[in-house]
Amino acid sequence: MLSRIALRSVLARQSASTALVARTSATDVSGARDEVNFPRPVRGEPGKVRLGFIPEEWFQFFHSKTGVTGPYTFGVGLITYLFSKEIYVMEHEYYTGLSIFLIVYYGTKKMGPQVAAWLDKEVDSVEKSWNEGRLQTVKALEDAIANEKDSQWRAQGQELLIEAKKENVLLQLEAAYRERLMNAYQEVKRRLDYQLEKAALERRISQKNMVDWIVANVTKAITPDQEKQTLDRCIADLGALAARK
Amino acid sequence: MAIGDYPKEYKPAVHGPYDPARFYGKPDTPFGQLKLSEVGSWLARRNKSPAALMGACSRAWWRWQHKYMQPKRVNGAPFFQLLVGSMTFFYVINYGKIKHHRSYKYH
Repeated sequence: MLSRIALRSVLARQSASTALVARTSATDVSGARDEVNFPRPVRGEPGKVRLGFIPEEWFQFFHSKTGVTGPYTFGVGLITYLFSKEIYVMEHEYYTGLSIFLIVYYGTKKMGPQVAAWLDKEVDSVEKSWNEGRLQTVKALEDAIANEKDSQWRAQGQELLIEAKKENVLLQLEAAYRERLMNAYQEVKRRLDYQLEKAALERRISQKNMVDWIVANVTKAITPDQEKQTLDRCIADLGALAARK
Repeated sequence: MAIGDYPKEYKPAVHGPYDPARFYGKPDTPFGQLKLSEVGSWLARRNKSPAALMGACSRAWWRWQHKYMQPKRVNGAPFFQLLVGSMTFFYVINYGKIKHHRSYKYH
């Protein structure tokens, strides 16, 4: 009990870095994963067999030493030896075995392909059901990525739109500026025109007044004698003109 | 190495996921490639402790499983192998009784 407490205190005092170093040096010398000599196991096809159950490799083992018929010769020879020496005894169970072999052989030949097809179908359906969730997740994620790309594309369109709107506002500002400029010009022109008109009118009125005044004064200044003299003079002129004709 | 532990030679960092059909020690010449004269020394080099024997049986079992029973589309071979194997096994254990049914005295 006490020793355990002492060990615990030692472990607690040990710093994290030394613990890590100790662990890595303890597990492995080189430390790298050896993928060449120790690849990840893969699920292969079932091994090949001959005569229904004897591994193909056993025949291959014989081929280099005895040729292709060697393994069969060896098998037949071995069975003959076992029968001949009665190591394999042909008692009543032997004939039972023969009939069972016939039944199994017939059953395999007759129903094997159908059973195999049915089992393959079941295997496929089980594998499909196991894969379905994964494939659905992958598809959902791919859809999400496509949606995200689409919304990014839309956001770029929004930027274009904002750009166009800014340009539009600038155009409106320009139009307002020009309108005001035109307004100012017209106002100034109107005032100037007014001043011009006013000046012209004043001059005309003063001219008219002056003319009226002068005419009035002149008319006032004409005496009846002067009028008479002028009329006489006129008549004389008219007479002279008539005489010349 | 207690019961249920991985073999001493198995290092997860180097070997990756554990394959129960695989021998992780130093490989010797395969039995099928031996010459007859080398069989004796080959057998002498084998580790014959009970743990090693059990390990060999376990590897053989898993190698058979991976090769015949565990593939995706299994054929009838492993079942016929089981049938033949059990017939042989029961013939051997019953041989003491069966040999009384011999028909011939001299062979």
